[in-house]
Amino acid sequence: MRILDWLTRRRRDLDLDEKDFEAEIRAHLTIATEERVADGADRADAHYAALREFGNVTRTTEEARRVWTPEWLERLRNLLSDVRYAVRSLARNPIFSLTVIAVLTLGIGLNAAVFTMLKALALSPVAGVRGSSNIAVVYGETNAGRPLRLSYPDYRYLRDHDQAFAGLFGSAVANVGLGRGRNSRVIWTELVTGNYFQILGVRAITGRTLLPNDEIAPGRHPIVVISEGLWRRDFGSDPDIVGKNIEINSRTFTIVGVADPTFHGTTVVYDVEAYLPVMMAPELGFTFGSRETTAAGIFSDRRATFFYPQGYLRPGITPESAVAQTNALWTATAGERPRADAPAQLRIVPFRQTPNGAPTYILPTLIVLSAMGVLVLMIACANIAGLVLVRGVSRRGEIAMRLALGAGRRRILRLLFVENLVLAMPGAFLGVLLAANGIPVLVAYAEALAEPQRIFFNIEVDRFVIGFTALIACGSAVVFGFVPALQSSRVDLVAVINEDAAPRGAARGRMRAALVVAQVSVSFMLLVGAGLVTRTLEAAKNAYPGFDPGQVVSVALDLKQSGYEEARGRRFYRDLLASMRGDSTIEAATVATYEPMNVVLTRAQAVAIEGYEPRRDEDLTYLTNTAAPSYFRTLRIPVLAGREFEERDDESAAPVIIVNRTLAERFWGSAGAAIGKRMRVAEGEWRTIVGVAGDVKYLLINEPPRPYFYLPFLQSYRPDMIVHLRVKGSVEVAARQAREHVAALDPDLPIEFARPMAGRIQGATIFFRLAATMLTIFGIAGMVLAAMGTYGLVSYTVKQSTHEIGIRIALGASANSVVGQFLARGLRLGVIGAVIGIIGALAAGGLIRSVLFGVSATDVVSFARALIVVLAGVTLASVVPAWRAARTNPLSGLRHQ
Amino acid sequence: MAKTPDDQRLELLQGTLDMLVLRTLQWGPQHGHGIGQAIRSQSDDLLRVETGSLYPALHRLVKRGWLKAEWGVSQSNQRAKFYRLTPEGKKQLAREESRWTQLVNAIGRVMKPVPAPGTEE
Repeated sequence: MRILDWLTRRRRDLDLDEKDFEAEIRAHLTIATEERVADGADRADAHYAALREFGNVTRTTEEARRVWTPEWLERLRNLLSDVRYAVRSLARNPIFSLTVIAVLTLGIGLNAAVFTMLKALALSPVAGVRGSSNIAVVYGETNAGRPLRLSYPDYRYLRDHDQAFAGLFGSAVANVGLGRGRNSRVIWTELVTGNYFQILGVRAITGRTLLPNDEIAPGRHPIVVISEGLWRRDFGSDPDIVGKNIEINSRTFTIVGVADPTFHGTTVVYDVEAYLPVMMAPELGFTFGSRETTAAGIFSDRRATFFYPQGYLRPGITPESAVAQTNALWTATAGERPRADAPAQLRIVPFRQTPNGAPTYILPTLIVLSAMGVLVLMIACANIAGLVLVRGVSRRGEIAMRLALGAGRRRILRLLFVENLVLAMPGAFLGVLLAANGIPVLVAYAEALAEPQRIFFNIEVDRFVIGFTALIACGSAVVFGFVPALQSSRVDLVAVINEDAAPRGAARGRMRAALVVAQVSVSFMLLVGAGLVTRTLEAAKNAYPGFDPGQVVSVALDLKQSGYEEARGRRFYRDLLASMRGDSTIEAATVATYEPMNVVLTRAQAVAIEGYEPRRDEDLTYLTNTAAPSYFRTLRIPVLAGREFEERDDESAAPVIIVNRTLAERFWGSAGAAIGKRMRVAEGEWRTIVGVAGDVKYLLINEPPRPYFYLPFLQSYRPDMIVHLRVKGSVEVAARQAREHVAALDPDLPIEFARPMAGRIQGATIFFRLAATMLTIFGIAGMVLAAMGTYGLVSYTVKQSTHEIGIRIALGASANSVVGQFLARGLRLGVIGAVIGIIGALAAGGLIRSVLFGVSATDVVSFARALIVVLAGVTLASVVPAWRAARTNPLSGLRHQ
Repeated sequence: MAKTPDDQRLELLQGTLDMLVLRTLQWGPQHGHGIGQAIRSQSDDLLRVETGSLYPALHRLVKRGWLKAEWGVSQSNQRAKFYRLTPEGKKQLAREESRWTQLVNAIGRVMKPVPAPGTEE
């Protein structure tokens, strides 16, 4: 914009005002003529004499212009005239031009978006922390390879003794209630060690961060550092925030500082809004599975495992030597860890491989997406090359004319180059626009889906990535387009002038064939990918999750946020369920700790099976849920044997347990055989199996069946539960009514959410569906492009052979035989391309396997579908132009050109 | 109007046209044709300025800010573009005159050496 302004302003200084100059010359001639007339000359003679005296007007104008216009502007003008010419000639072929623009827009937009995400996750997984990709994470591993968190005493020992790290911090993400009563809301916090901010290098913009001194006495550091977002949203960026108090889980905390605005915590995807000293965890109701009752007890309990120590390695320490050093410390202190299933050894991984961290889910999908994005771009380039090649034929006359008129080859090449550039620019521009606007839209969409929980993606519109992608795509488009353009400029003048447009030499034929083969093979791979993902989506849609989420409302409560102790909490849940069951619109009501298809990993516990001796490398740790009576009825999970939990399974009754079918079959062979057998959870008392329930998709729709067990709520109380209601009418209305039931019992109790279960499950699969949709778009885009490209190239061949077709038809060949000949040529190339595509798709199978469910990467149906589509495309692209050529009058064919 | 045979006409030295134009305009604003005529008559028809050189020169001087161009009406009631010296142009003319004098003196000394006293010390 500024350049335009400047140019307008300087225009007067940079250019000759031609009208004004013309007027000046006219005035000059008039005066000179009048002088001569005054001297007595004839007017006509005087006029001619004046003209003669003046000399060459055009040259004078040129000279005068040269005074005004610098050389660079003159060159720019020439370039602009090339650009104008290019734009005009491209506008005359709108379908060709729009196709290329659309191809590049899509290719650049999709690639830039994917690469931006990839870069953000791989290079800076933690927003606001420099070099966060270098953070190393320590975790324990059982003999069976299951990752384990560490306890506070183990963390502290490593922190004080491990010389491989420049410092080790710990952080546990936690859901807490902010504020008191009904106005409270649930936020994500991190319970962090005192050195957390120092090691990460995160500063406070107001007040201070947490310090090592804030990690001295369990339960005695009621302070908090809040995020800049919370400060802005809840406190209107109050400059006097330091020293103010906030309520977290009904405890008063004093704000000591506000963290840097770029920092959103170290839990990828979660928008952490407050940082609390880890020493305050027991005060907030977190005991980390410890049986200790005092805060001091919990922090010396090696069974209370809750975080992964992490930090930067000291300079010069390799990951291998860090593992060796850390494990040496671990083995030396093994005697202090009494637990049988304590981690056998420690592992150290880069931050992005944090066990169960969001990047471990997202990265494989992104890699598949980026691979497919590159394939689309490759097709796009091959396509552009093909289109330019085809266009070159119709321009042979024009180019020959230009050469004949004395244009240099350099000048012609420059024109063709400018044309390619003009062709590539709008696509690049729109692609950048698509990526720049698409990324925030995607992020906002994901954030809206996650409501009321706040999530944060460290994905900024990365100008560098987008610019780079655009440059690469644009550059390759120009280069790909330039090679055929170069061939077009190598026109045999005599041949063209003799109206002989038949192709010269085999080089161009080979290039054409190679382009067809390349497009067919790449689009075959894309089609296989799209087919596999479509089949995955079908399988996921048809997969039975093991329960019926329709007509179910879930209401999340956390009594520890309101300071309920166990007796009062039990009473509350009993009264709430009684009141809900009395409601005529509610068919069934129960509570459980987790919803099925939870997406995020839920609690797992170690079990012992009576009469079963686990192998040394066997890890009997299974996911678990706590459920009240009527749970299986409410969710319509079939009970295959025995019974479900009942009111009689309370504290005074014998301990019971319900397992799922997979667990029952694993140890007792069948559901029926499991009834009456005994098992224990986390070294607790022996529990009798009273029921076997059907398998459920506990985390994700694409998970394989896994062993699972349920503990009765009445025998294992927890304060944080989710009420499940099966309702008769509208689920939205029921969700509102459920809030009223809660408020009637305790008007101050915060409700984390009350929502239909089906909607949440839909939202939970959003990333998966998004990836599948994008893959399908890539596949379809690639296929359409390849079909268009092939069609164009075959039409080109046919066009060049019109002469030949005319002669054959004139000599009595049937239209069918002519079409058959072209079809055979096309199919030969199509088959070669398909074979290369099959090899490529098989080789790339490992890449896509991670996003598949219910189909194998070598799924015959997907391969067959892709083959049919590709060969059909090639057939159509060969037959239609050949048929059209064969139908034309042979004489017009002969006269063609 | 006195006529001088073509072979007696002098070619302008490189770079002197600008100076002549500036000098001519010292007497007041003038249009292109007038400037050409003035140079011609003041040089007794020895110097003829080609319009092909005059106009580019005029534009060059305008661009450098030494002249200012304005449309006006001539004595014979003709519309014409008049060129006028700017204060900057006056300074430039002074500079060129002194340079010209130095040049003429220097060339004069080379062409007609006058042995000065004490030159062969």
